[in-house]
Amino acid sequence: MRVWLPPVMLTVLLCALSAGMPALEPLFEWMQPDKQNVIYERESFLFLLQNHLMLVVISALVGTVAAVAGGIFATRPAGRDFLPLVSQIASIGQTFPPVAVLALAVPVLGFGEAPILVALILYGLLPILRNTLAGLEGVDATVRQAALGMGMSPFQVLLQVELPLAGRVILAGIRTSVTINIATAAIGSTIGARTLGDPVIAGLVNGNTAYVLQGAILIGMLALTVDSLFEAAERVWDRRFLPQTAG
Amino acid sequence: MSIYSSVASNTMPNRVLPVLGCLALALVWLLDLGVIQPNRIVPGTGHGLISAVGGPWAGLVSLVLAGCVLLSFLPLRRRYLPLLGLVGLSLALLPLLLEVFAGRHLPEDAPYARSSIGAGFWCLLFLLSLMLIEILGRLGSGRGLQLMILAVIVGSWLWILRGGGLESLSLVREFNARPDKFEQALWTHLALAFGAVGISAGLAFLLALKMIRSVAWRRPILGAVSFLQTIPSLAVFGLLIAPLSALAAAFPALQAMGIRGIGWAPALLALVAYSLLPMVRNTFVALTEVPESLADAGRGMGMNERQLFFKLKLPLALPVIVEGVRITTIQAIGLTAVAALIGAGGFGSFIFQGLGQAAMDLVLLGALPTIALALLADALLTMLAASLKPTPATA
Repeated sequence: MRVWLPPVMLTVLLCALSAGMPALEPLFEWMQPDKQNVIYERESFLFLLQNHLMLVVISALVGTVAAVAGGIFATRPAGRDFLPLVSQIASIGQTFPPVAVLALAVPVLGFGEAPILVALILYGLLPILRNTLAGLEGVDATVRQAALGMGMSPFQVLLQVELPLAGRVILAGIRTSVTINIATAAIGSTIGARTLGDPVIAGLVNGNTAYVLQGAILIGMLALTVDSLFEAAERVWDRRFLPQTAG
Repeated sequence: MSIYSSVASNTMPNRVLPVLGCLALALVWLLDLGVIQPNRIVPGTGHGLISAVGGPWAGLVSLVLAGCVLLSFLPLRRRYLPLLGLVGLSLALLPLLLEVFAGRHLPEDAPYARSSIGAGFWCLLFLLSLMLIEILGRLGSGRGLQLMILAVIVGSWLWILRGGGLESLSLVREFNARPDKFEQALWTHLALAFGAVGISAGLAFLLALKMIRSVAWRRPILGAVSFLQTIPSLAVFGLLIAPLSALAAAFPALQAMGIRGIGWAPALLALVAYSLLPMVRNTFVALTEVPESLADAGRGMGMNERQLFFKLKLPLALPVIVEGVRITTIQAIGLTAVAALIGAGGFGSFIFQGLGQAAMDLVLLGALPTIALALLADALLTMLAASLKPTPATA
C-alpha cells in the first residue's frame, strides 16, 4: 500500500490548497502590496479544479477507448491494410504543437468547452495510439501462435494474451497523453474553457502576479498529483505482472 | 513471408485509398468549400461545392476523386505511379479552387469583403495529404522522391499565390496587413526555440557526462529533469514571473539587459528547462549504449580515453543524440507559441491576439506557420539523423 501514499498525500494537499487559498491572503498581500484584490474570486478554485479535471478525464477516457480500438483494428488481419497509414498519422500528428491544434479548433467549432474537448481528445489520442500499436506489435509472434495452438479463439488471444502483454506500454501512453492534456487544458482558458488557467490569464491581463501565482501553483500541483497516481499504478502493474513474465 | 506479402499487397486491391477517396468525396459535397465575409469580424455566408466553384469545376473535383477510388481498386501492378501523379497534381493545384471561388463570389465594389477557406476545403486538403502519404508508403519511395514531391507542391502553391488571384483570401489579407510583424515574429520564434535548444544541448551534454562518470548522480538528475517536464508550461511561465521581477528590481544591471518578469527571459528559461529531459535522456542512453566490445577494440588499437570518446563513442552516439535534438526542437517550437502569453512574441502572439479579437484568420496566421515550422524541423532533423547513421565499411 505504500505506493499509494504519495498520490493520496498530494491529492489531500491539492484539495486543501484549492479550498483554503483565501487563508493565504496575508502572504499574497505581502508579495503584492499595491493591489486591492490579491485572491482570485471570479470562480472558486475548487470549481475550476473540478472543471479542469473533468475535461482531462473525459478526453482521456474517450481518447483511450478510441485509440485502443483503432490500434486493435489496425493490427487485426481485417485492418492490416490501414496499419502503415495509422502509424504514420500517429507519429506525424504528434509533431503538431498542441497550442496550434487548440487554435485550429476555434475557427472550426467556435469558442467554449466543446472545441477544447474535441482538441484534447484528438491530440491526446495520438500517444495512446502509438503506444497501443507498439505494444500489440511487440507481442512475440510465437506467444500468439502458442495461444492459438492451445485452442484459444483469436478474440480470446486478444483479450487474455495480447492486451495484458501490451497493457504496460498502453498505460505509459495514457500517462503521456494525460500530462500533455493537463497543460493544454490550462491554455484552453484563452478560448473560453473555465480551467485553472483562468487565474493565470486574468493575472497576466491585469498585471496581478498574485493571481498568476495562485493559478500556476494549482496547475503544477494538479499535474504532479495525476503523475504520481500514474507512477503508483505503473508500480502496481509491474509488481503484479513482471515477476510472472520474468520467471 | 515478407516477399510474399509485398508482392501480394502490390497487386491486391488497396482498401485504404478507396475509403479515403469516398470520405473526401462525401465531405467535399456536404461541407462548405469557402466562405464570403463582408468584413473582418462579421460571420460570412458559406458556399457548398457547386455554388462555390460552379458545375464544371465541381465535376472535375468529383471526377478526380472517383478516379483515385477506381484506380486503387484495379488489380494492376503499376497503379501507384499514376495514382501518385493524380493525387500529387490535385494537391499542387488545390489553391486554384479558392481562386475560382473568389473570382465568382467576391463583390466588386466591397473593398473590405474577403473570402475565407471553408471546412470542405480543409477536409479535402487533409484527406488528399493522407492519400499521398499512403501512396508514398506503398511505393516504398526514398526520401529524395518524397522531398521532390513536397517541393513541387509547395512551389506550385507559392506560384499560385504570387499570381494575385488569392489577394482577397482573408489569410493573405491578414498577412499583407502586417508583413513586418510577421517577419519579426518568425525571427523571434526561431531565436527563442533554437536558442533554448542550443543552450539545453550544451547543458544536457555536461549533465550526461556527469551521469556517466558517477552512478550516484543518475537518479537525481533524471528525476529532476523529468519533474520539470511534468509541470504544465503555463504554470512554469507563471511561476517564473515573480522571482524574475524580484531579481530585476534588485539588480538594475539585469533590468538593463532586458530581463524582467515577462518577456523573453522567463520564456527562454522555461524552454531550456523543458528541453532538458529528452536531451539528457537521449545523450546519456546514446553514450552508454556504445558496445563495450567496440571500446575494447579501440583500446586494443592504442586509443587513449580521450580519442576513444571523440573518435568512437561520440560518432556512434550522434544519431540518437540528434533524435533527442529533434524531439526537443519540435517541443520548443510549440512551447514558444505559448510563451507569447507572457509577452515573448513569436507566432503565438498572432494566435492569442486573434483569439482575443475573435479574428479567426489572424489565429490561422499564427497557427499555420507554427505547424509548418514544426513539420519542417521534424523533416530536416530526421534526415540529419539518418545521414549520420554509420554505414558498415564492408557492406
